Amino acid sequence: MNWTKLIFYLLLFAIFILAVVFYHSIIYYLVYALIFSYILDPFVNWLEYHHFPSWLAVITIYLIIAGIIAWFTSRLVPALVQQGNNLFNILASGEQLNGQYIITLPFISRIYEFLVELDTKIPGLGIAPKMIEILDQTNVFLAKIPKLLIDNYKRIFSTISIIATVPLMSFFILKDKYKLRKGILSLFNNRYFELCIIMFRKIDSTIGNFFRAILFEIIAVGILASTALTIVGVPNSVLIGATAGVANIIPYFGPFLGGALAVATVLINGSSILYAIYVIIAMYIVQLIDNNIVYPVVVGGTIKMHPLLVLLTLIAGGWYGGILWMLISVPLVYITYNLIKVLYVNLKDFKII
Amino acid sequence: MLKDVFAWLKTIMKKPDKYADLKLFPVFNECSSFELYLLSNFLHKRTYQAGEILYDKGYPLEVIYFVLSGEIEVTGPTHPQGCYVIGKNQVLGLIDMFSEETRSSSAKAITDVTTYVISRFDLLDLAKQNPHLGVKLLYAFCQTLSNYILTISAIKAKIE
Repeated sequence: MNWTKLIFYLLLFAIFILAVVFYHSIIYYLVYALIFSYILDPFVNWLEYHHFPSWLAVITIYLIIAGIIAWFTSRLVPALVQQGNNLFNILASGEQLNGQYIITLPFISRIYEFLVELDTKIPGLGIAPKMIEILDQTNVFLAKIPKLLIDNYKRIFSTISIIATVPLMSFFILKDKYKLRKGILSLFNNRYFELCIIMFRKIDSTIGNFFRAILFEIIAVGILASTALTIVGVPNSVLIGATAGVANIIPYFGPFLGGALAVATVLINGSSILYAIYVIIAMYIVQLIDNNIVYPVVVGGTIKMHPLLVLLTLIAGGWYGGILWMLISVPLVYITYNLIKVLYVNLKDFKII
Repeated sequence: MLKDVFAWLKTIMKKPDKYADLKLFPVFNECSSFELYLLSNFLHKRTYQAGEILYDKGYPLEVIYFVLSGEIEVTGPTHPQGCYVIGKNQVLGLIDMFSEETRSSSAKAITDVTTYVISRFDLLDLAKQNPHLGVKLLYAFCQTLSNYILTISAIKAKIE
């Protein structure tokens, strides 16, 4: 064993660990910047092929995005804020939404009447008062949501700093993407070089295409759901449609979340059960369009994972990092699984293992 | 006098051609500086020591090599003698590029070798995204392959 070489590698490893410790707080930012860069990459490439210098291509794309956001903000945000405020008002008004009030809602009242009937038939069961108690407890939690937002101002500021930092990091990633790629690949010796190129290509195509497709799907489902719910006449349809679009990322269970939110809104507003069925049909039609047209066209195939594995991944994601991780855990596991499969096959083909 | 000073200033001001080594390859003869810039984004410079194996038969086919210096011995069924040598400004991996998923031959550096390496998928993507460059590249590849067929036909005729 060459001792000089060993000491050099140990030093290198120590520096790497120090770098990880030093930069660990911005690793999340880097991941977000990479995702953002992957989404924008084809547009930057297109401009580069039309004789734009890379820095100008990135700035042009940023300006276009800023323009689109400004347009949407002026058109859509007032409606979203209004609808958000309506929801918060309902959630925050403890008096209005206590257990006694909820059981007067048409659909819930029938369940309550059924439970009261059960209580009279089975003496000592006491399930109806229990229901009011549970509804009261849920209401206490929901009423805290606006306060939670105020209490978590640090997180809100951190989100704002992400919004400010990520585009800056993405700018440099997009501008110097070829240099970065070459730099990383130059670290590998000739034996592993071709394998690394294959892995890079796979990562580029799998992750890049996946995130671009998912973004497109979120927008498409959001617009479809908002339109469908508006046609049916659901209040706060834009907000619910947007939520349904984001929740749709989660395979199998995501579509139910969007539908459940829409139905819950309709029932809380005191509409009849028939009206809730209309909402379910509208959301089902949205899902039909998504599953048969949007998803096959843009994603090119469903995430082929067993439903049980999806459920376990969702639970684990939720425990690990809340709703955000619930959203990204399934695609993350799917992409990791695919990359490991490609790595294994190629390691065998190159006779490395 | 003024003319000489101007010419001298021009030689000082003139930047060295970044893609001079690429222009030496017959396949890139017709490419403009902008097209070579696009191509250079995907090229990786690699060096191989004498005796080092570039690839073996049956390996997955991902990259093609543009030899900048040195000599490489290629052993496989694509040559009537079963073995041939590739040298400076020649391309390695072109024959398998359009038809195979795995290497049909083996390549080993005879001397120290410096090459530009490009993923065949990057090259084909570049050709698709930039059709003008694509036509030039595919035309140049056809010429190279045609020359190769003529050469091996002559060798085959000689053997027979």
